[in-house]
Amino acid sequence: MTDSDKPESRPMSDFLRILENEVQIAALAFLAAVYALRLVWLFRFRNRKDRTFPAGRGSAGAGYSLMSVALPGAMESTRRRPGFYAQFIIFHLGVAAAIAGTFIIPYAPGVFEVRPVMRLFQAVIGAAFFVGVLRLVRRMTNSVLREVSSPDDYFSLVLLLVWFAAAALAVPNRPDRGEWPLILYFGLTAFFLVYVPFSKICHYLYYPFSRFYLGRSLGHRGAMPPLPGRRGAAPAAEDRP
Amino acid sequence: MKRRKKSPSGVVDAPLDPRTQDRAKEDGLASVKDGRLRTYEPGDNVRRFLDLLGSRVSRSLAVSLTACVHCGLCAESCHYFLARPDDPTMTPVWKADQIRKIFKRHLDWTGRVAPWWVKAGSLRDDEDLNRLKNIVFGTCSACRRCTYNCPMGVDTGLLVRFARGLLTELGIVPEGVFNVSRDQWETGNQMAVTEADYLETLEWMRDEVRTELGTDKVEIPVDREGADILYTINPREIKFDPRSIAHAARIFHIAGESWTLPKWGWDQTNFGLFSGDDRLGAFVARNVYEAAERLRVKKIVISECGHGYRSTRWEGYTWAGYDQKLPTESVVVTLKRYLAEGRISVDPARNAESVTFHDSCNIARSGDLVEEPREVLRRVCADFREMVPNRRENYCCTGGGGLLSMAEYRPLRLEVAKIKADQLRATGAKLVCTMCHNCVDGLADVIKHYKLPMRVVQVLELVSNALVLAGPRGA
Repeated sequence: MTDSDKPESRPMSDFLRILENEVQIAALAFLAAVYALRLVWLFRFRNRKDRTFPAGRGSAGAGYSLMSVALPGAMESTRRRPGFYAQFIIFHLGVAAAIAGTFIIPYAPGVFEVRPVMRLFQAVIGAAFFVGVLRLVRRMTNSVLREVSSPDDYFSLVLLLVWFAAAALAVPNRPDRGEWPLILYFGLTAFFLVYVPFSKICHYLYYPFSRFYLGRSLGHRGAMPPLPGRRGAAPAAEDRP
Repeated sequence: MKRRKKSPSGVVDAPLDPRTQDRAKEDGLASVKDGRLRTYEPGDNVRRFLDLLGSRVSRSLAVSLTACVHCGLCAESCHYFLARPDDPTMTPVWKADQIRKIFKRHLDWTGRVAPWWVKAGSLRDDEDLNRLKNIVFGTCSACRRCTYNCPMGVDTGLLVRFARGLLTELGIVPEGVFNVSRDQWETGNQMAVTEADYLETLEWMRDEVRTELGTDKVEIPVDREGADILYTINPREIKFDPRSIAHAARIFHIAGESWTLPKWGWDQTNFGLFSGDDRLGAFVARNVYEAAERLRVKKIVISECGHGYRSTRWEGYTWAGYDQKLPTESVVVTLKRYLAEGRISVDPARNAESVTFHDSCNIARSGDLVEEPREVLRRVCADFREMVPNRRENYCCTGGGGLLSMAEYRPLRLEVAKIKADQLRATGAKLVCTMCHNCVDGLADVIKHYKLPMRVVQVLELVSNALVLAGPRGA
């Protein structure tokens, strides 16, 4: 690789450079500030003290509850629908990869110079895009989801789809061949960082708390985690007809 | 909240009937006069509802109100939706959203600025409150099956109880809920059993057991100070099923137990759990805890009742702001201990018919007991078989959440009970055992409606049947 082929030597407009750096940092700072306010808001709600003798460990219940995201057998809803769970994993791996890309491109561009790594990112993000399309179709065609979905639900999903598409095109990180994929990718990322705290996407902020409080309460009662030797909460094999 | 939208189930449009409440006011009931039992007054109820909402949301409720992503995975965990798969209003997410949208509109950020964007909405008048009443009381048994199936940990059962509590404060409740709450406030027990009836029934059962065992040594003690256990019961046992008290007395006698019932504070059931009224919950639970202190017992034992167990063992201490001082256990745990310690001998051949077990939602999902009843049943039944799903995945008997007391929702309750009926039928068992009096009635309704060839029994009855009396502690 010659010096001119190195990513840091590739020509890039000032606009894109600022978008990849200062704008992202400002948007991240905004996100952090709003999240901090969100947490203050959440912690203003009182928390009830449990006054009973424990039948189990609240911490064990909380830990199990938080880990349930990685335990598809723990819930009937995911155990019966392995395809849906696989979609969930792929979708969120795609999100993680796309987020990682926003840091790799400006701060460690050499990573995407390794072609298999770049292709892997593209594949994961592309698969997430495909899953996102399936989710959008499901949301539009399933009568239950149509009934409960808000404009924010649709908008957030469509926005993610466009972001995935932009990310898949941007990870080769070749501004010299055209900056539009990168501008779209980083522009949408900045928008996301500002929009997320006000949308359904901030569920990942609440997820640890909702699962923690539920798990701690049920753990204290000995209802979570399930008894040793039993797979999740599922009926034991000898109980099946 | 969408205006006057028709519900496919019809339940949502059931009117509020305040006639019983009016009579309670005319009668000058003490609980109404001093404001413990709230009655419906036309006026600015929406404002009062919103004020209560703002002041009562706890942190665990707040995260359940904000964390839902509308994935819809909860739908298929709900027996209402499984029985009515074409009706989105039967899904947990839709029901929870009727509460969530009010929270979003008045307390959350985006919903206050751009309500249409997140489907936030407010209440307009008492008719909207009545519709909310019908949703949270009439289309959910608060069984928490969806809670266990929500990837986000959203506790819809908790949300439903919370909304019920706000409406109860306004007197916007089903007539049955008002009646039972009134009885529990006024008499200390939910079936308005008088002290005379209570004591007479206990004496009657004592005499029955004496005759059965052929000894005068059998006692059903009341207010005996210093006994080892305080036995608390469901008023249904006095009114409709006194044999369950006789079964307990028989077993306690043979086990050589030191026990007593209290003269006041014997009702372990608690309609505060169903109505969402924490003050009623505290009052009833405190009656039990104070009886235990007064009689200086070592342990509180709760007879077979799902919501009674949950209320007395778990929720009541928190409602009453009362730190637990004494072990509090289900009588099924007591039975398990007797079997383990050899204090009673049993012969499973005496329960030869096939038996399946129905887990009460309040005990299995909101409590800690799933294996204990099975361990007992395997000792006392010759043919025990599981229903599927079971334990914490079991389906509600469909009478949970106080629904048995709400006649206006009965047609829908029985319609969605098809899921439970199919589950029961698949076992092929002749007996369905449950450790909950509420489930006994709920299951009996299902069995009758769907013409299932089985009957309902309880653990105490099966253990009592299986008792071998020739042992050292026998009659």
